[in-house]
Formats: sequence, structure tokens, C-alpha cells
Amino acid sequence: MKLEWSVVWQYRWLLAEGVLVTIGLTIVTMAIAVPGGIILALMRLSKNRFLSGFSLCFVELFRNIPLILVVYWAFYVMPIFVGIELSAFATGITALALNVSAYNAETFRAGINSIRQGQVQAGLALGMSRFQVLREIVLPQAFRRIMPILASTWVSLFKDTSLVSVIAVGDLAHNALMVRSQTFRVLEMLTAMALIYWALGYPQAKLADWIRKKFEVKE
Amino acid sequence: MELDFSPIFESWRFLANGLLVTVQLAILCCIASLALGILGGIGRVYGGRVLKGTITFYVDTMRSIPVLVVIVWIYFALPLVSGYNLPPFWSAFLAITIHVAAYVIEITRAGIESIRPGQVRAAQALGMSHRQILREVVLPQALIRVLPSIGSIVSVTIKDTAIASVIAVPEYMKQSETLAAQSFHPIEVFTFAMFVYFCILFPTTRLIDRLYRRLAHLGQS
Amino acid sequence: MSSQVGQQIRGAGKKPILSYHNVMKRFGNFTALNGVSLDIYSGEVVCFIGPSGSGKSTMLRGTNALDPFDEGQVFLDGSPLPTSENEARHLRRRMGMVFQNFELFPHRTALENVMIGPVTVLGTSKDQAAKAALKLLDKVGLADKTQNYPANLSGGQQQRVAIARALAMEPELLLFDEPTSALDPETIGEVLNVMKTLADEGRTMIVVTHEMNFAKRVADWVVVFERGQVVEQGPPEQIFDDPHTERTRNFLSHLGWHG
Repeated sequence: MKLEWSVVWQYRWLLAEGVLVTIGLTIVTMAIAVPGGIILALMRLSKNRFLSGFSLCFVELFRNIPLILVVYWAFYVMPIFVGIELSAFATGITALALNVSAYNAETFRAGINSIRQGQVQAGLALGMSRFQVLREIVLPQAFRRIMPILASTWVSLFKDTSLVSVIAVGDLAHNALMVRSQTFRVLEMLTAMALIYWALGYPQAKLADWIRKKFEVKE
Repeated sequence: MELDFSPIFESWRFLANGLLVTVQLAILCCIASLALGILGGIGRVYGGRVLKGTITFYVDTMRSIPVLVVIVWIYFALPLVSGYNLPPFWSAFLAITIHVAAYVIEITRAGIESIRPGQVRAAQALGMSHRQILREVVLPQALIRVLPSIGSIVSVTIKDTAIASVIAVPEYMKQSETLAAQSFHPIEVFTFAMFVYFCILFPTTRLIDRLYRRLAHLGQS
Repeated sequence: MSSQVGQQIRGAGKKPILSYHNVMKRFGNFTALNGVSLDIYSGEVVCFIGPSGSGKSTMLRGTNALDPFDEGQVFLDGSPLPTSENEARHLRRRMGMVFQNFELFPHRTALENVMIGPVTVLGTSKDQAAKAALKLLDKVGLADKTQNYPANLSGGQQQRVAIARALAMEPELLLFDEPTSALDPETIGEVLNVMKTLADEGRTMIVVTHEMNFAKRVADWVVVFERGQVVEQGPPEQIFDDPHTERTRNFLSHLGWHG
């Protein structure tokens, strides 16, 4: 078997573009799913039964469905329900954001619940509004518990973006698989793809470990 | 827009076969990755420097590569290296297992390290050997403590089996794709697939939660 | 006799700042307050004493609407306590509260803990709030601990910061919910001394406490609670030296109080 590693170099720009799309998918999804998760968590904790019920259903639904299925579902079903034809990128973002928002909602809810009720009362006793108590007292303290989990969600998300390749979003996995089928350099391209993901993901995983150690709650 | 679920009922056998493959694949992957992961976790804690280093590197590698990439590489590229052709089902089994096992290693390690040293000393005072201490005292408590994490691992494993559709393993996701394309009713087919996966995953995670609540006291030393 | 005399002197020519009328509070099946009526006058130190679970703390949390009363009426300066959350916020600005477990914000330094109320609630500038906070920390004897985080302060120091935090809002009324119950014996004194200073300044204070010596020495008025009701109220000389009811006597002798 003769290996032609030059094929990787030849398609370097296409792979680089894929890397950029993968990183873009990760960043944009997180930028949506953090506020999304906070809103869902607050809905869940609210006294309004409709809001908390909706949040519960949303979170349980998207945590219990394979992401790849959500991607297909968003691709086929959303244009008909919503009525607008979204780009593949936007469709991919939607599917990822639905999934990650559900996970973040649980992260934020657990973080908020970990703060003693007395802390809330101390803030209220100073005359703060519920929103001020959340912003000034609860969230900054919950941050220590939330950050490590958000970091590991980030690492998972980075990997999960590869699943939107099935609806032809031009991410790293999609571009590498495309080159593979055009050039038939299967081993070279697939190995290159794995190595690029590894090179990008490894430092992120290590960073997530570092964040977990740094924020470890000592009680 | 009118919904027409009849293609699903007409092709129920086709889908049921897919469901069966999903369940088989998920069970096999869970058993294998738990076994591999627990062994790896023990090695990670008690092994020598080389073994520890190797296992850590393996875990971090799997944490940084998407499972899709592992599946595709094992199915398409591994035969070119090894000379053996693995059928799609066993390629998916191998890929998902080595991927998930990495997470089980981390969980097992965390569980073992959470056991107080006093427990080990108490067992030593009774004259137990290292192996006995691990098997009788440390592992049982550690595994009960990490049961909630094991629950999410099981859930992740079941969800990962859906990715096997990209190498055409005829599991539920793949069958749904095929049916969606053939019947021209993707909305109904994919929505129904969501329902099916939810009905598998939700009770499974709840069951493990309940099991944990019943056993939790056994892990609290 | 003496209680009547006390009451006459106490209420003479003044309107109460706080007036409770037949206040009730239930938690499920448990009746925490069962018809409490009480007046509190400006400039007074009023101590609530009584066994655990007798409703003393529930009174405080109802007063600043952290846990509103179910029934009855409360008048603050002649107007009824608000019921809506928005008005309750206004109300809480007028009352400072000190908690049993301090409840300092662990992610803020001592100085920032004292500043946070004026800055977020009153919109005071940070410079101004910091200046005022420094003065208050100096007043409670912690001028050298301003940059410490709560985790690096002793219990007594934390509680003194918490008092400064309450004072920073320039409240008309201070509520103390068992401020020394969670403290080591050796740090109780420093907190009580700060409270004594505040009392001497003529501040209006309601103190839920198990410190009978403090109540006897500092209080102008003592209210004895049992099972959600007021058993007896009067000046400290009456309550501690000449209790009028059997239940007060029982409670005090249970504590080993012999005058």
C-alpha cells in the first residue's frame, strides 16, 4: 500500500476552512446556549407552572434524543414549521443550540440551587430586587460550580459539531470526508482529520481540567 | 400541511429491526466499555508510571476526538492498516466502546479516589491483601458512588449508537433515514424517531437514578 | 403594677414606629404565630426572648416581608405593611437585618459587602459608598480587615461586618435574628459590644436573642414568646426580676436564670 500524504497538503485550505467553520460553530452555539440555558433555568425555578413545565419538557426532551437526530429533524422539519429556508450553517447552529441549551439549563439550575437560601434573603433584606440578587449574589457564587461544567460542555460541543457534517455544513469533518471520497486517499485523509481534531481538542480538554482544578469547591 | 404517519405503520417491521439493532449495539457497547473502563480506571490509579501515563494519554485523546471520527476511521481506515475488514456493526461496536471506555476510566478513577484512606487502613488492619481491599472495600463503594455518572454514560452510549448510521449500520437512525427518503415523509418519520429514542433513554436514566437512590447509603463511608 | 407603670411611661405621647395587630403565620399544619399584638417605639431596644420555635424569628422575617404574615395587620409609622414584592423592597431599605449565620457574600471583601447595598440598591457612587463603608467598618472595629474575604474572618468579625452592612443602608430600624447564636463563646462579646454601642446611640432595634444578660442590660422592653404567642412583655426589671406569669418564670428557670 502506497501512502500519498501530499494530498493533505494539497487540500490544506479546504481543511483550514473546515477548522474555521468548526470553531465558529462551537463559539456561536455557546454564545446562544449560555443565555438560553440561563433563561431555561430561571423558567424552571419560577413559580409559574406553565414556565417551569415548559422548561422541564424542553430540557428532558433534548437531553434524551441523539444529537444527530436533532440535526436531521432541524434540517427537514424546521423549514416547514418555521417557514424559512435556513442555511445549512444556521440549521446546524439551531440543532446544536437546542441540545446545548438543555444541558446548560441543568448546569445553571444546579449552580443556582447550590446557593443557600440565606444568601438570597440577605440580599433581599438589603432591598435588592430578585434580579439584583441573582446578578450580584447568586450567579457570582454559582459561577464556581458552573464554570467547570460549562468547560466540559464546551469540549463535548467542540466534538459534537462534527455531527452537523451530515447535512453538508462545511465543517472539518465534512470537508475531510468530501476530500476522501473525491481523491480516494482514505487512510491519509481520515488520519489527518483525526489528528487535526486531536490537535485542537487536546488543549481544550486540558484547559477544562485546569478550570476544574482551579474552581474546585473546597468546603 | 397534513401529517401522514401511515408509512411508519406500514414499515413497522423495518423500523423494529432497526430498534433491535440499536438495543443490541447499545447493550454490547455498555458492557464492553464498562468492563474496559473499570479495568483502565484501576490501572490509572494503582498502575506504575508508564501505565498511568499511557492510560491518561488514551483518555485525553478520546476526549479530544469526536466519536464520529473514531467510527469513520475504524470502518474505513483501519482495514487498510490491519488488512482485516470489520463489518459495520462491529466497527461501530469497537469505535463506540473505546471512546466511551475513556470516560468510564475517568469516572472510576474519581470514584476510587473519593474513598477515604481510613477505609483502606481499616481493611489493612483486618489483614486483607491489596487485591481483597480493592475488590471488597474500595471498588464496591466507588462504583455505587459514581452510579449517577454511569447513568449518563449509558445514556451517552445509546445516543452514540445513532452515529453508527453514518457507516450504514442498520440501526434505528439509519432505518429512519432510509424510510424518510423512500416515503417522502421525513417530518413524520424523524418526529416519530425522536419519540422512540426518548422512550428508550428517559426510562433508562430514571431507572439508574432510582437504583442509585436505593443504593446510595451503601457507598457512604 | 410595675408593668402598667412601665407601659404608661413607655407609650407616653408617642406613636409606635411599628405596631402589630393580631398577626398570624402558618407553615403547613404548624402555627408559628398565633395572634401576636405588639407595639414598638422609636429609639427603643426591644428583645424577643423565648424557647426555640416560639415564633421570635418568624416575627422578624414577617416584619421586613421576607416571609410575609398570613393574617393580621402591621403598621410601620402608621401605614400598613405592603404586600407586593415591589413595595416590600422599599420597606426593606428602611430596615437593616442581621442574620444568625451572618450571610456575608463570600465572593466579596468585607468592604465590598458593606458597599453592595448602597451601590446596587440606592445607586450611590462607588467612591462615596467606599468612604461610608470604611467609616462603618472602623466603627465596628474592623478598619484593618477591609480587604479580607469572609472566609478569612472569624465568626465575630463576620458578624460585625454584617452589622456594618446593615448600617450602610442608614435604616430606621435594625432587626437582629439571633446574632450571636452561631458564634464561638469568645467572640460573642465583641458583637454584643457593637450592639450596645448602637443601642446607646438611640437606634431602634429588635433583637431576637438567647443572651439574657444582654437583654437585661441593654433592652428597654422585653417580649417573651411561647408557641407563637406573647406570654408577657415589660421592661427588663419586670421580666427578669419579677416575672408576672408562670410561663416566663418556667422559661427563665429552664435557662438557669437566677436574676
